[in-house]
Amino acid sequence: MGNLYHNKIAQWVVYVAFFAALAIIPNMVGDSFLLNQFATYCVYGMLALSISLCWGFGGILNLGQGIAFGLGAYGMAMTMQMQSQTESNPIPPFMLNNSLDYLPLLWQPFQSTLLGLILAVTVPTLFCAAFGGIMFRARVSGPFFAIMTLAMLSAFYTIILDRQAYTGGVNGLTPPSAFQFAGVEVDPYSPTAYWVVLFFLTGATFLAKLITQSSFGLVTQAIRDDSERVRFLGYSVAGYETVIYTISGLIAAVAGCCWVMLVQYVSPAQMDVGFSLSIVIWAAIGGRHSLLGSILGALIIQGAQSYLGDTFLATWLLILGGFFIVVVRFLPNGLASLLEVALGLLARPDPTSSPAPDGGRPLPAE
Amino acid sequence: MSGLLEIQRLSKSFDTTKVINDFSMEVVEGTVCCLVGPNGAGKTTTMDLITGRIKPTSGKIIFANEDITAKHEHLIARAGIGRKFQVPAVLRDMSVRQNLEVAYSRQTNPFRNLLKFHKPGLTAKLDEVATLAGLTGRLKERAGILSHGETQWLEIGMVLMQEPRLLLMDEPIAGMTESEIEKTARIFKDLRKSATLLVVEHDMGFVREIADVVVVMHMGSLLAQGSIQEIEADLRVRDVYLGEQEVA
Ligand SMILES: Nc1ncnc2c1ncn2[C@@H]1O[C@H](COP(=O)(O)OP(=O)(O)O)[C@@H](O)[C@H]1O
Ligand SMILES: [Mg+2]
Repeated sequence: MGNLYHNKIAQWVVYVAFFAALAIIPNMVGDSFLLNQFATYCVYGMLALSISLCWGFGGILNLGQGIAFGLGAYGMAMTMQMQSQTESNPIPPFMLNNSLDYLPLLWQPFQSTLLGLILAVTVPTLFCAAFGGIMFRARVSGPFFAIMTLAMLSAFYTIILDRQAYTGGVNGLTPPSAFQFAGVEVDPYSPTAYWVVLFFLTGATFLAKLITQSSFGLVTQAIRDDSERVRFLGYSVAGYETVIYTISGLIAAVAGCCWVMLVQYVSPAQMDVGFSLSIVIWAAIGGRHSLLGSILGALIIQGAQSYLGDTFLATWLLILGGFFIVVVRFLPNGLASLLEVALGLLARPDPTSSPAPDGGRPLPAE
Repeated sequence: MSGLLEIQRLSKSFDTTKVINDFSMEVVEGTVCCLVGPNGAGKTTTMDLITGRIKPTSGKIIFANEDITAKHEHLIARAGIGRKFQVPAVLRDMSVRQNLEVAYSRQTNPFRNLLKFHKPGLTAKLDEVATLAGLTGRLKERAGILSHGETQWLEIGMVLMQEPRLLLMDEPIAGMTESEIEKTARIFKDLRKSATLLVVEHDMGFVREIADVVVVMHMGSLLAQGSIQEIEADLRVRDVYLGEQEVA
């Protein structure tokens, strides 16, 4: 009998149960502010998922996921901002304050909600495809790629901060009313908004799960193991890396749209280096080799931050940092590996046949 | 009969050292060609050049009438050249089955593989190769825990899964037992029916067993070429290479 943790059917059962449990939360939580907060955790879960796919499965450490998230968020905020503008008053107030008396070309497509949404998702996705394509083709990998993502993120941060008339600068964008779609207003504090976000989180997770179990997933796993060897089997390593990095960016862009729908706000803080690093930390603590583990990592840490952060205030970051170090030191594959080990012990009570203690490397058939 | 692989006046320098020096050879389709020579002669470097791992300083490599010189590794592999490395290179964190499965690379397009869960012909091929490689009972093991001989076999199996026209084998029997070597020789001779082999090997007994043609390299150049009898009778070869071999 194998380890239940690696059983594909068992994995799907757990995934379905997990999302079913999340789906009924609005029926149990009456407080709409709390529900809104839970929905934002789901957005963080989506971000952690995207990092798990890219880093855990693709082996590509991405410290700049805030690029796709931020671009998606800005696209959504621009769409929502334009929904509040009328024909007689087509220019957002912050532009007027910056003595811009016409609607810039950049903003014009966002007058259409549909076009705005399409751009909010495709622009970051295409950016990832282009940036990833160039980097991976040049065989930039490992820490060098991570540094490039960081540099790129800082560049975006600076541009957005600097172009105040177009982006709202440090204040960001605060669309005055809730997102409207097909004539319906999506109240960010309603169960509907929560379910919309959960729908995207669930969809993204199942898509990611399918990808990791497909032939594509097998090749990316092989690339993570030994990219040099995989080339000689006929696979374009750069092609696979670009595709998984882009899919990861697409998920982050959708997360960005969801986030703005929930909080009606975006600022350069969403493209801050610290935020992108925390996404990586969620995935690392939850277990980057497990999609669900990473999502849970985000939920647990952000949840703890909301409740304990107020209590501990200044020391919260210290607690989080310490926790991170403990996990990296003793559980290199995150909290998910605790479950893996536990189920492994169940499956093989005979200690002689247990896998060699090799630092908790992922076993085959993840 | 025509040359499936033709190496024409190949040279490669690392900085100032000339490692491959005006080297030419040909591998005829459906034969086993053994490339021999003392350590440091440039055999592995030649394989690196054929498979695109490094680019030649000058010269040409023609495979199946197509110029593959300095093409990307994956394109050369797709053209039909499979390689077993001198230092066995398997995917250590993956299972033996996954190693064989990923090597079954008929479909290499990332988009087409994205939501693909079934590869036609995989099961039959995997059974065949696993049996041949004697790994049927080890399919679920992590490749990293295999013994040296098994790792060699797994990598040979991976090359077979690729179904290449030309198989490059860099020291395939290193670390194998006598009986494993015999089995390898049998299989290589068998493979000749469907593929072409270029084998780098030190063990002259093994070479004698399998080679149709032997090419001797010395200091990056062609020293001699011919049947095993011709090579063993060649005085220059005895001088630089076989002399030390016979003693060993
Ligand atoms: N990347 C490299 N840089 C410098 N010298 C190299 C490099 N690779 C191989 N060489 C040299 O090229 C020569 C041939 O090496 P190699 O092809 O591995 O020999 P063989 O496989 O025939 O034993 C050796 O002298 C080796 O030191
Ligand atoms: Mg060698």
